[in-house]
Amino acid sequence: MEEMKRNPGVCIPWEEKVKELPPISGDKELARRVWEEVDFLGYLFIWHCLVSF
Amino acid sequence: MSKSKEELYQERLKRYTKAMKNEKPDRIPIRPFVAEFTALYAGYTCQEVTHDYEKAFLAVRKCAADFDWDAIVGNMVYVWTGLTQAINLTYYAVPGIDIPPDVGFQYREPPEEEAFMKSEEYDDLIKDPTGYLFNIWLPRVSRDIVPPKESATFRHNLALLKGGMAMMQYFDALGRQNQLLREETGTVSAISGILKAPLDILADKLRGYYGLARDLMERPDKVLAACEALMPHLLQVALSGADPEKNVPVAMWMHRTSVPFISPQHFQDIYWPTTKPILEELWNNGHQTLLYAEGNWDFHLSTFRELPAGSVVFHVDRSDIFEAHRVLGDKFCISGGIPNTLLSIGAPEEVRDYCKKVIDGVARDGGYVMDASAIVQNDARVENVKALTDFTREYGQY
Repeated sequence: MEEMKRNPGVCIPWEEKVKELPPISGDKELARRVWEEVDFLGYLFIWHCLVSF
Repeated sequence: MSKSKEELYQERLKRYTKAMKNEKPDRIPIRPFVAEFTALYAGYTCQEVTHDYEKAFLAVRKCAADFDWDAIVGNMVYVWTGLTQAINLTYYAVPGIDIPPDVGFQYREPPEEEAFMKSEEYDDLIKDPTGYLFNIWLPRVSRDIVPPKESATFRHNLALLKGGMAMMQYFDALGRQNQLLREETGTVSAISGILKAPLDILADKLRGYYGLARDLMERPDKVLAACEALMPHLLQVALSGADPEKNVPVAMWMHRTSVPFISPQHFQDIYWPTTKPILEELWNNGHQTLLYAEGNWDFHLSTFRELPAGSVVFHVDRSDIFEAHRVLGDKFCISGGIPNTLLSIGAPEEVRDYCKKVIDGVARDGGYVMDASAIVQNDARVENVKALTDFTREYGQY
């Protein structure tokens, strides 16, 4: 996992992901929202492993 | 005309939430945290309810139907070992596989020298807690997952894939279980969301108790900084699972961080400053927290008074329930306090006598939820749980 600033709820910040993408011609907000929602599942996985299981 | 299940649900929800707001409902709500007891009652082994969550759910719903409780936890045998096996976690002993089929699952703490987090790794955890968990902690607690610089294996890939999918499946099923409890028996799902104190997490899953005890003496500043780094994440996890309707509390499972597990000074300097703000923030977001105070927390009762009135429910395990009520009762609801040993080896008459003593001493003005001290496992006798239930329903009328 790359070294980066990770806020609560985040594994790979959108700001990092967007650097890998070509210029977004469509709805940038949709792209950001869906990335963050799915990324949050990864976050919940690891923190629930620690806290719940 | 008999009440519909939804009417019953609403009536019970009102009773339960009113008591938790430290008010006086129509009668004392009954909300036993029944774990492996449900297997005993429904005729399953511990292996069945631990490894097959649908059987666990059926056992819970059978108890809800037969005992007619106000609230219950959808699955208090919370660790689904199908999930932990998918990730191949090292720290659980699974009933029927690692231990006899009628023994509840066990957490196996490694020896101090094999702690999942090494003493020299505090800075890594502090700098990037999520990265630390993925890169260092998970490969250590899983037999299949490998660290980032090693080649990924078939089992590594599968452990992550199956673990993630199994977790989603289980959480989805828990949501359905809560809905079925509401529809089939009008029973309230007692809690929503999970919280552990930062220092408890360090003791439980990272440094281990012995390692943490040593660190508190040798590097207390690092321990404090690690707790501070964990705080926003533990809050995030708690908020993500909290009841969107803001009716039932987040449960905070308190294990090893009361005196004498740690010193009064460490409690005041590290535990409390990194736990209190989380509880306050949950309250600011409209969520109560149930402090599931395992063990004896008598030494800290006055500290909990610092929290806003109504923000927590204080659950009594080995604490003195009458002292807890004396110190906290004007601000917070109290729950529990019926000794598990009594439910296990006592007679129904003794259970009724103890319930009367607790109700008379603690519950006369409301603000009390009936429950055993600790989670009820398969050593409890059915007739004793029935005595607790029947007596409270009769004597606990306001």
